[in-house]
Order: sequence, then structure tokens, then C-alpha cells
Amino acid sequence: MRDMQRLADMQIDSKSELQKEKTLEEKLEILSDAAKYDVACTSSGMDRAGKKGYLGNSCASGVCHTFAADGRCVSLLKILMTNHCEYDCKYCKNRKSNDVERATFTPDEICRLTIEFYKRNYIEGLFLSSGVLKNPDYTMEKIIEALRMLRGTYKFNGYIHVKAIPGASKELIYSAGLLADRISINMELPTQDSLSKLAPNKLMANIIRPMNQISGTIAMHRLAIGKSARMERAGINDHLMNSIWGKEVNRIGTDATDRANRLLPGLQTDADAFLFPADKKDLNLGRAFAPAGQSTQMIIGATNETDLELIRTTQNLYKSFDLKRVFYSGYIPVNEDDALPEPGTPVPLLREHRLYQADWLLRYYGFFADELLSEEHPFFDDAIDPKCNWALNHLEQFPIEINTASYDMLLRVPGIGPNGVKKIVNARRYTKVDFEMLKQMRITLKRAQYFITCNGKMLYKIPLEHRFIRNRLIDVDSVEIADIGGQSVQYKQMNLFSDFNMSCTG
Amino acid sequence: MLTCIYEASASKRGHTNIKLVLEPIEQYSLLDQYIHVDADLKKAECVMKSIREKISPQVYRELAYASMAYEEEILDLIYRVLLVGFSYGADVLNMVMYREIMQFNQIRRRLGREVNHFQEFVRFHEVEKGLYVAHIEPKSRLVVALGPIFADRMPSEHFMIIDDIHKEALIHPKDEMYYLKPLNDSEYEQLLKTEEMNDTYTDLWKVFFESIAIRERANEKCQTNLFPLWTRKHAVEFKDNT
Ligand code: SF4
Repeated sequence: MRDMQRLADMQIDSKSELQKEKTLEEKLEILSDAAKYDVACTSSGMDRAGKKGYLGNSCASGVCHTFAADGRCVSLLKILMTNHCEYDCKYCKNRKSNDVERATFTPDEICRLTIEFYKRNYIEGLFLSSGVLKNPDYTMEKIIEALRMLRGTYKFNGYIHVKAIPGASKELIYSAGLLADRISINMELPTQDSLSKLAPNKLMANIIRPMNQISGTIAMHRLAIGKSARMERAGINDHLMNSIWGKEVNRIGTDATDRANRLLPGLQTDADAFLFPADKKDLNLGRAFAPAGQSTQMIIGATNETDLELIRTTQNLYKSFDLKRVFYSGYIPVNEDDALPEPGTPVPLLREHRLYQADWLLRYYGFFADELLSEEHPFFDDAIDPKCNWALNHLEQFPIEINTASYDMLLRVPGIGPNGVKKIVNARRYTKVDFEMLKQMRITLKRAQYFITCNGKMLYKIPLEHRFIRNRLIDVDSVEIADIGGQSVQYKQMNLFSDFNMSCTG
Repeated sequence: MLTCIYEASASKRGHTNIKLVLEPIEQYSLLDQYIHVDADLKKAECVMKSIREKISPQVYRELAYASMAYEEEILDLIYRVLLVGFSYGADVLNMVMYREIMQFNQIRRRLGREVNHFQEFVRFHEVEKGLYVAHIEPKSRLVVALGPIFADRMPSEHFMIIDDIHKEALIHPKDEMYYLKPLNDSEYEQLLKTEEMNDTYTDLWKVFFESIAIRERANEKCQTNLFPLWTRKHAVEFKDNT
């Protein structure tokens, strides 16, 4: 009976959509608006040269084409295929129970938009997500249809990031991965409890299981073309004695269930990778499975996880599934609900920023989650960034001598980033490095001066005293935080990691 | 440029007494003597060869790339780098204890950023079916550097990038090698009009650009920082619809 009612509803739904006959412009407005909360980034670490007869290539460093009014970079045509949705996730604007304008792109419309935007140098590629249309399998099939057309008929060779719909069957996820460069499944919330509370139709197992299989399949494809099983990481990690990418996390030989259980205890997983023949059409393209890897996204501030839990989960995702990126998205109150923060609650941008900083420290600086926070202090300090905070708590290890310190220690000095370390190490092969040279190398001495000596001397005679240094560092940090009132993540991240030359957080 | 370097090193004036400048010279100093040098293919090739052999092909490529920079001291710096280079060899650009190497590297990096900037913010307009034209106003003469970038991106399209400042165009015919062409006034006049030719996709792009921003996170300051106003002139998303 209920099903009948649903069917009738749906018919009315599609009829009313037909009656209005939305233009491409209206659809684009609705479906890009609905997709804007998803974070994505093209800095894929993967280069793919262009091919005659095809359109597009892929740049490892990522290319931002413009900056939207919220200061976030725009590099992909970020759209939903449809914002119709059978699910009712509480935090989502497109949930079934909301009364919003709905629209659906045809595969051809998606292709034309991508191709034409790409040729005008507006974008680097396509980011395609979707609400659940009818059911996960049906949705996934529609997505694949669009991607096949784009790769096959339109000969598009640029970057594609596709969302896998949790609960879709393995064959379909496999096809999507063969067509796209990156595939991601949003974790949204780090525990089953939070998930049941806010996303009643979603199951943690349905998220972790495909994640595991995607990661296994990526590894298999990488081995088949003569690469290492694990994704390439920033070069700096090769020089570190210890980091989260270290030897012990080598995924070959470790047990699939074991790995999945680090994230969801008790989960039974079957195969470790997709082991069935692929659709001929997809195979003919000769592409590896998701060569730019897998990513995911978590919502920050909708439930009461601590920062420690979040970065531990992040670290586990990197270690177990070799994810390329974990993105955070500060919760934006779009719905009223008892289970959610009040509407009007400010977006936790500063918290999101601190988490990204910590994520950076895990991926590029050789830090581990448990070095940054502890059960006693499970949240990041608003006033001071995680790296400075760590240094302050380990003053006994400082000051270090620039001309002799190890890679690992240089990287742990506030104000010195991977590029700075490379410059220092390079220069000291030929000469003794002094403060003047550090300035030339654009090392942030405002931060670094308290922790280093050059040829045995500090820049100024300063006692290594916790409270004093902390106050000075807070001053430096507050300039960055204050002038934007805890706003832009990217802007500050650029400053903190200025020697990084990497502005993209999403 | 290479001829200048040849003349400078062949003359017996002593390196410290020579400064190479690009013409036109804006401010002549009274104490110095100016020697005009005309380009000479043979001499240039001679310098090219000795850089490649005595230093390294990579360094030659770096120097050639840097010569696009708008900074007027670049020619002199290249000359200084060479002087250091002939005694140190291929490692010359790592010798950061020399002021001139440091300065050279700084300009080289700045130029890299400028090229990068145009890679991101060039906007093409479809002038007629299948022909895409873009205009840029760079400080440096870098349109050549965009050639390999866009030829790889769209190997099978006809496109053209026009440098409005230096009046030259990079032309890429479908499936062929790109080339550089200086523009005369009438050609330039004609090409200027292409920027007004907008089509549906330009409008759709504006729609997308508006709706993708999250209102709760609005941050104009940050946007301006990342995409400075002076560079927005050719970016369609910041143009009014009028
Ligand atoms: S599945 Fe949940 S999060 Fe995704 S569109 Fe539907 S309601 Fe929103």
C-alpha cells in the first residue's frame, strides 16, 4: 500500500517537473547550488598528458580557475546529477522531507556543460555527485551512463571525480572507477552512532566495505602497471625516518578484514578488491581504476565527536585504505531538527581550519595523531596552531641547529615547511646557512626564531620559556585569524604553510 | 640578448665594469658609455653552444625561460649567472650564497607564478564554431610559455592566445604544432572584438559561478587576495552582463 502511494507520488513528481520544462540554466542553478557543500580538489598528484583526438589532460599540482565569493577555489564543474533523493539525512538540504525545487540533468547535458566549460578554460574537469534517485543502483547506473558518454562519445580526457553511492552494487562501483580519475564515498560522520542519529538510511558497513574494496582495486591496478601498491605521497615523506606512510602500513599481505576493522570493529568483508570482468566499453578505454585515488569527507560540528577522534579516524583512513585525501566540511545549518545544532549556529570554520592543519601535519610533516592531541586535551587550541602547540609542549627538544639538524626535526620547527627544509638542506651542502639566508628563503622567522640557532647563535637572546613564547606566537597567529573573524580556511592555510605554495583545501 | 652576452664577454672591459641593459633605455646615466648591440645569429649560437656544453642544457633552458621576465635587470642577471656558471658548472643555480643567483632565482620563481596565473585565468571565447580565442595582458612576454600547456590540454582544437600588451599571438591549429606571430595594428584591431562574443556557455558559467559560493562562508577579502582585482579584467565571471 505504502509502495503504491510512493509510486503515485513519484509520478506526480515527474509530471510536475515535466510541466515546468526546466531550462538548462535553471537546472544548472539548482544542481550546482545543491552540490556546493561537497569539498573536492584537483591537486591529484597525477599527471596525464593530452592525446590527439581527445580533449583534456590532468595536472598533478591542480589548477584553480577562479575563486568564488566564499574564497574557495573553483576548479571543477561541481554538480549533482539530480537533487531528488529517497533518503532523509537530517543535515542535508536535499533530503526527502524537504520541499525544495528539484531537477535532473540528462547525461547529454552533463557532457555538453563539461566539454564547453573545459574548452573555455573555466574548469579542470567534472565533479559528479547525486541524490538517490529511486535506489542506489539506479542512480549509479545513470551516473555511469553520463560518464561513458563523456569519455566515449565526447572523448573527454580531463579530470573526473565521481561519488559512489553507498549501497550501490559492486559491479557498478567498479565501472564508475574505471571511468573516473578519483572516486569517493562520503563517510560524513566518523561513527555508526552518529550516522544512525543523523543519516537513518545509511549504514557504516555500506561505506567502509566499498572503501576497502576500492582501495584494494586501486592497489591491484597500480601493481599491474608497474607502480607501487600504495599511492605516491609528497616527496618529503621519503626523507623522514617515521611518518604515517611508514613501512608498517604496507597493505600487501595484511588482511582485508583486519584493515576494515580498524575503522569499524566487527565488520565482515568479503573480497579485498573487485574481482570480476569489467564492462567491455569501459575496458576499451584502457584506463586504470581511479588513478587519482580515493577520498572522503566528514562533516564537522553536527555531532559531538572530539578533534582527537576525528584525526584518529583520519589517520586510520590514510593507513588502512590509503586514501588520497580526507576532507572536512564545517556543518552549515540548513535544516531545523532536534538532533542538529540550532539554525543560525555559526559555521565552525576555525575548527575546520585547525583540523586541516593537523591533516597537513599527518601527511607532510611526519606527525602522528596521538602526538597532536591526547585524551586529556582532545580539542585543538583556538588561539594557536597545532604545530606551534606541539613545539611549545616539547621545548626540551629545542633549539636545534639549522646547519646540522635532521630532516625530521627541521620539519617540526614552526615556520619551516617542506619547501623550506629542502632549501635549507640544499644550501647547507655548499655553505653555512645564516639568518639572512633563511630570510631570503622566506622562512617565517616570526615563528621559527624561538626554536633554532644558526651556527650556534639564536636570532635574539630569548629565554626558552613556555608562557613567553606562547604569547608571542599567539600574536602572530591572531593577525591571521582576526582579520577574517575566523573565516576563510584557505587564506590562513596559505599563510601558515606559505612555503608550500598550495592553496587548495577544497 | 645572446649577442649582447657575446659582446660583453669578448670585450676587454672587465666583467665588473659592464652592465647589460635592454633597450629602450629609460634613463641614461651620465657616467657610463652605451654600446648598442644588434642581434647576430652566429654570435648568439656560439653563446648558446658554450652554455649548453660548459654548464648544462638544463641551465640553458632555465636561463632562456627567465629571459621572458619583464624585470629590466634580467639580462644583466643572466650574464652574472653565466659568469658564476662557467666556474661552477651545472650546479650554478644552487649557489645561493651569491647574491646574483639568489636574485635570479627570485625572478625565475616570480615568472613561474605569473605563467601559472595565466594558465589558470585565461578565458577562451568561441568566436566561430570550433575556434577559441583568448586575450591576456601579462607583464612579461610569456605567451610562448603557455603554448605547451594549452597544446597538451586541447591538442585537437583550433585556438589562439593574444597578448594585448606585446601585440603577439600564439596560434594553435588543430592537431598541429603551435607558433608565435607578431600582430600588426589591423590584425590586432580585428582580434580585439572577439572578447565581446559571448554565447550561452559564458552565461551558464556565470550562473554556476554565482550559485557555487556558500553564503554562510562569504569572504570577499579572501577572494580578493587569491584573485586580485587587476587580474580580473578578462575573467568573464567578473564582468557585468550589460
Ligand atoms: S543521500 Fe542523504 S546526503 Fe545524499 S542527497 Fe540524499 S539526503 Fe542528502
